[in-house]
Amino acid sequence: MDNQNKIKTEENLLLRKVSKVVEDKMERTYPRVKFERKLNCLKEDVEKIGQTSLSAYKKALEAFINYDAELVDEVNNTNDQIHEMSDEIELEAMSVIASEQPVAKDLRFIETCSKVSGHFKRMGGLASNIADIARHLKDKNIPEKPMNDITHMGDIVDGMVSKSLSAFLNEDLNLVRELKNDDDKVDDLFDLALKDISTSMFQEKDSISFLIYLLFVARFLERIADRAENIGDRTIYMITCEKPGVAGRLDELIGDKKKN
Amino acid sequence: MPYRLEVENLNVYFGESHILKDINININNNMVTSLIGPSGCGKSTFIRTLNRMNDTIPTFKKDGTVLIDGKDIYDPDVDVVDLRKKVGMVFQKPNPFPKSIFDNVAYGLRIHGLNDKDIIAKKVEKSLKEAALWDEVKDKLEMSAMGLSGGQQQRLCIARTIAVEPEVILMDEPCSALDPISTTKIEDQIHKLKNDYTIIIVTHNMQQATRVSKYTAFFLHGEIVESGLTDKLFMEPVDKRTEDYITGRFG
Repeated sequence: MDNQNKIKTEENLLLRKVSKVVEDKMERTYPRVKFERKLNCLKEDVEKIGQTSLSAYKKALEAFINYDAELVDEVNNTNDQIHEMSDEIELEAMSVIASEQPVAKDLRFIETCSKVSGHFKRMGGLASNIADIARHLKDKNIPEKPMNDITHMGDIVDGMVSKSLSAFLNEDLNLVRELKNDDDKVDDLFDLALKDISTSMFQEKDSISFLIYLLFVARFLERIADRAENIGDRTIYMITCEKPGVAGRLDELIGDKKKN
Repeated sequence: MPYRLEVENLNVYFGESHILKDINININNNMVTSLIGPSGCGKSTFIRTLNRMNDTIPTFKKDGTVLIDGKDIYDPDVDVVDLRKKVGMVFQKPNPFPKSIFDNVAYGLRIHGLNDKDIIAKKVEKSLKEAALWDEVKDKLEMSAMGLSGGQQQRLCIARTIAVEPEVILMDEPCSALDPISTTKIEDQIHKLKNDYTIIIVTHNMQQATRVSKYTAFFLHGEIVESGLTDKLFMEPVDKRTEDYITGRFG
């Protein structure tokens, strides 16, 4: 047994030595290993805030559909964490800019990290708004039509939040295109929900007191979808240096990217 | 607008080594152009070709043309002294003459035949003001230039260069030996001087290139890999090698 332990320790020592040599060599052949490491950290942190916002959103939607006071608290706590994470990413981005003076794609990447984390922070805030409002809707008999509109919206927005994170992390312009289409669908559903909610209000005057809150839920979902689309726009900028709002040229840009 | 400087198919050799390869670049009037690139890529050789400083190297050979205001500066009828009056140069290390501050600036004026003391005094004052040194030295013009600080010496060299009213000023890493405050002063001067002069600056400091110049050319292994508007080159370089260099990813 002792012998085996000894062999293991020696193996570990050897491994450590080898990895040190590899790192030293990398430092020599690839001068900005530390900078690269900082960029990777930043990316990991954006991934974390994205995942956390996505989970806050899922919980908020769940609390809206099947009210659960604990879940609401959880969403609010997560929202506080998301705020802290976003502040940290902002500081981290500024510190990398100050110490490394990045240019070109590096600079666009860092700027995008800061902006994307800001969008995820807002999504967390909106998720928390939805969770808070769920309180007013619990045990209420919500008419089927507007409820269907909103759960449908909720599903699409769920996909959009995760697509936006994935588009940024994997620099995937095809996903950005999907985000644009999804956002159009969400906008249409929002209009439909408004119409259905107002119809229900006219039909049943007593329902106005809680259907007002449903209106807000629809609004918050639509805002989250916008934020996801904005992340897509930022991703376009990061990859191509084209200003956001070039949806019409996405096909062309995707073509360009494949060529590269 | 015609270009102040046009370089066409310029090749430079030192003996067997091919230092500059097929350089083509046009440089606009009254504008700052930065030249960037790793050490030994030919930036300094290039600017030294523009005022024929390489002529003193026996193995120097070149083909291609270098036109300043449409005139080939390598034409046999070109007077090199006149050329260097037209194309001034500021070097990496401040190199004032071991003379008084006044004489340093007056030196060029005198060798170009100016004798009137009043005019010389006026031009010295004007040059020192343009180089933002006047207020610091006006009471000690007879003091040796060697007693000035590094940053002051470099500004004195700039004053000496602009005293003879050149059209083009070449600057070979003018701030690399200076502290950040002196660097800022010289960069401020470059901003002001560009209204009257065409400036070409070699720099290893990318941030300096983005601060002072409108155009940038990236040199690598004796070639110009990419040139264009500075903002574009630093934000959205076209060539992979440019991106690798400016982002510090050169293996």
